[in-house]
Amino acid sequence: MSKLRSTRFGRRTTLGLLGAGLAAPFIRPAAAQAAWPEQTTIPDILKGSGEVRIAGFGGTMNDAQIKAYYEPFEKISGIKVRAFPGSDPTKIKAMVETGNVEWDLAQLSRGSIMNLQKRGDYFEKIDYDIVDSGVDPAYRFEYGLEMLVWAQVLAYRKDLVKGEPKGWADFWDTKKFPGERAMYGTTSGGFPEMEFALMAAGVPPDKVYPIDIDKALASYEKIKKDVIKWWDTGAVPIQLLTDREVSMTTVWNGRMAALQAAGVPAEISWAQGLSKRDAWGIPKGAKNKANAMKFVAYSTMAIPQARIAFAIPYGSVNNASNEYIPPDRLAVLPSAPDIKKQLLNYNYDWWIDNREAAVNRFNKWLLS
Amino acid sequence: MSEAVLRERGPLARIGLRSGPEARAPNLMPYLLAAPLILFMLAFYAMPVVAMLMRSVSDPTWTVANYATLPDDAVFLKTFANTFYTSLIVTLVSLLLGYPVAMALVRAPRWAPIILVLIMLPFWTSVLVRSYAWMVLLGRHGLFNEALIAAGMIDRPLRILNTPLATQIAMSHILLPYMILPIANALRQIDPSLLRAASGLGSPPWRTFLQVTLPLSMPGVAAGVLLVFVLALGFYITPAMVGGPREITISMLIAQRVDQLDWAYAATLSAVLLATALAIIGAFYRLPGVGNAFRMNAR
Amino acid sequence: MNGAARGASVSLADLEKRYDRTNAVDGVSLDIRSGEFLTLLGPSGSGKTTTLMMIAGFETPSAGDIAIDGTSVVAMPPYRRNIGMVFQNYALFPHLTVEDNIGFPLKQRGVPKAERTKLVAEALELVQLPGYGGRYPRQLSGGQQQRVALARAIVFKPRLLLMDEPLGALDKQLRENLQLEMRRLHADLGITFIYVTHDQEEALTMSDRIAVMNDGKVAQVGRPEDLYDRPCNRFVAGFIGESNFLPAVVRDLEDDVVVAECEGVMVRALCPTLRPASGSKVTLTTRPERLRFADAWNGNAPQNRMSVTVTEAVFAGERCRYLLRATDGTSIVLKEPSSAAIRRRQVGDQAEIAWSVADTILV
Repeated sequence: MSKLRSTRFGRRTTLGLLGAGLAAPFIRPAAAQAAWPEQTTIPDILKGSGEVRIAGFGGTMNDAQIKAYYEPFEKISGIKVRAFPGSDPTKIKAMVETGNVEWDLAQLSRGSIMNLQKRGDYFEKIDYDIVDSGVDPAYRFEYGLEMLVWAQVLAYRKDLVKGEPKGWADFWDTKKFPGERAMYGTTSGGFPEMEFALMAAGVPPDKVYPIDIDKALASYEKIKKDVIKWWDTGAVPIQLLTDREVSMTTVWNGRMAALQAAGVPAEISWAQGLSKRDAWGIPKGAKNKANAMKFVAYSTMAIPQARIAFAIPYGSVNNASNEYIPPDRLAVLPSAPDIKKQLLNYNYDWWIDNREAAVNRFNKWLLS
Repeated sequence: MSEAVLRERGPLARIGLRSGPEARAPNLMPYLLAAPLILFMLAFYAMPVVAMLMRSVSDPTWTVANYATLPDDAVFLKTFANTFYTSLIVTLVSLLLGYPVAMALVRAPRWAPIILVLIMLPFWTSVLVRSYAWMVLLGRHGLFNEALIAAGMIDRPLRILNTPLATQIAMSHILLPYMILPIANALRQIDPSLLRAASGLGSPPWRTFLQVTLPLSMPGVAAGVLLVFVLALGFYITPAMVGGPREITISMLIAQRVDQLDWAYAATLSAVLLATALAIIGAFYRLPGVGNAFRMNAR
Repeated sequence: MNGAARGASVSLADLEKRYDRTNAVDGVSLDIRSGEFLTLLGPSGSGKTTTLMMIAGFETPSAGDIAIDGTSVVAMPPYRRNIGMVFQNYALFPHLTVEDNIGFPLKQRGVPKAERTKLVAEALELVQLPGYGGRYPRQLSGGQQQRVALARAIVFKPRLLLMDEPLGALDKQLRENLQLEMRRLHADLGITFIYVTHDQEEALTMSDRIAVMNDGKVAQVGRPEDLYDRPCNRFVAGFIGESNFLPAVVRDLEDDVVVAECEGVMVRALCPTLRPASGSKVTLTTRPERLRFADAWNGNAPQNRMSVTVTEAVFAGERCRYLLRATDGTSIVLKEPSSAAIRRRQVGDQAEIAWSVADTILV
């Protein structure tokens, strides 16, 4: 099993891997030039001593997190931050079960936290008394707090596709928009994009959930022969676009900046994209539980949330953050009002309950 | 002639027949020397494996249901067949490409260092980077296709990347050293005077190869085939990156289930994979030609 | 034996083998007669094995020619030369049974299975290993393995058999037994044997003729007794048997006998090859066992005499070995059969030794 884990790659661990073809940094020059906002004071209740051990996804994401809130937090709170790469719900499960909890806080998703919590008691409850009031209630849940907004969207090559595809009916329409496709697959713990399949079949966004699996698979059937890759890590669709292997694919929006910076004529079409979030979870029995809670509260304050958007094109969960972000930067964030309204909110609850069935049905369909 | 005396004195022991008096004396030293390793393996290898096997029959309660449903599990069956088939092809390709390279390595000592470096070079690169390299090479606008088009051999690019063929090529490349090195080792152990003897006795080079070199290199071939096949069974990243849209391997299925926190099913699949590997190893030792070759290696 | 098995003649003409800078074989010319047992004898590095390998075809000559029965074989690959070969390490195929090992050359020649079985059985009979056909080489002793190798080398009735130190890895008793067997085989088969060894005793016992090799060249070719009695140079005299070397100055020449001044006395010696001028410095050689103390000749002491002092006396069972010092300090070894009837000398004794002119060779 350990071999498996070391070889499988998490959603963002391979973020830096694109180096093969793309050497450009993730930080866009325009944003880098604008002054980063500084959090100068914090409530005394967030101050403390000792340390907090935080597991993230490593790579570029880790660099962004250090600059956006690890370093400022250390300075202002007096609590030392130790960052670890390779956050993974399966590791949390093993840690909690063996009583050897090595992390105080982990970057996960609402889905993986609740999925685990469904099987036992693996996470501490969030102390919402100290969480900033600007954090939208939609991002709060009992055992975790969402802290990073990103999107799974349609991306296309402008030189291979005439016009701008808008939505999944266009993605499915290989006559109007010729060329091969790539979509997110299930091979390394991925989730099939059944929402997209349904919207392609004409289901309006507000009727997507609960997902009709049969209908989704029937819709998938129409695009199956044109999908040359069911990707399992975010680097792959970017590489496929770069190499002109596909004209259109689904992507994680954060990846596109580097591609565009490298001069590849590729564009995001936000229409009918899925808005997803990363969340903080405190493993049950974490030694520095109190410090972890303080960090959770701090990192979701308006300014730290704005700072992360400077470093990486992911959005904020704090409604007050947008004030601190320059308009041209805001324009590429999934949390920007103009973009947010085009996106469908990913329904973690449906997936927590139906993941196994959906994935297994998808596998069977794919192999048939 | 006093062959009886000789038998006692040693030439037999020297050529590896284990019936001499010295074979009977128990020598505990090797076991003592190996003890730390054995303990290490027990603690850090055997126990986790046993724990995993236990999980496949005890999670959440004692049951064999996980195994009982496998024969009706279409996804499992297809995936297993695909993994097995890919491993088979990769093993075959590695053998056909690797044997001549192993020959060159041993028979052309002047070039051996260069060949060895070329073999080992990909060894020192991560599987991920190598997979990316294959993407660059085999893509529709990759070097291979561009070259063929430039040479006028094809009009439009061939679809190689993102097909099972790409998986087979990339996996063979990655696993080739595991085929070459044991074969080269076996070839190196062949006494050169045997080849001279064969030639002197009237056997032209190609017959010497078939009648002497090939059979004597069988231990290496068997080791190489085993290594490559068993390693190929566990492949994960390469097929995911360069393979076709419908290529799911057993390892991917396991990863999927681990991620879904369905560890009992993942353990079941792992147990099946492990059992398959063990069965293949067992079958190899039983093959008449190969088994004999293995035993001969004691010489 | 019948005519088909008559031995091949081998002719080496100015044969050379160069490796980078050294000449492993440096101009060897040798005619080996049909049916002869010829031994290439020499120390390691003398070029004897390289010469054999060139005859077999495993090494390509840098210059010169090899002819078998008058036909040059230099351009012929080994597998077409039809020569039997026995290697020092036996070179039996470990993956084949004794029967298949011996049948190997027959199989290459397309001999049908039934015929093959018969010939293999005969060959096993010949090397006294009947019934061993089903075993694997690793189940045999060293001596048995070598006999299988021998059977394999002769089963296809080659007219020439090459052997490269075939008994080198065996112990003394086994070696002597096999030497006799090889002689017998040679006599039975009537084919030509070329045998390489560094063991002079082995060479002397087995060979019809011996070619002594040194530094890539043939130092002398001849029958064993010729080499022993009439070595034509210091190397041969030293390499085969034990020799005394006496510095001398030529004073006179009478037909093929030279008169030389040696240790203050006049000594006569045969000079079969050289014609030295008067006054030239030469070396005379004699065998220790051909020398006697003068009083042991019972009045028939031969011409060559010399006064010596005994410096060492060793009783070695069947003989006594004395180390003597001549007037000018040259050391001389004398070996005398031990007999209770012969007076033994003590260290420090003064004595006169005497030996025959026929046993004195100028080299």
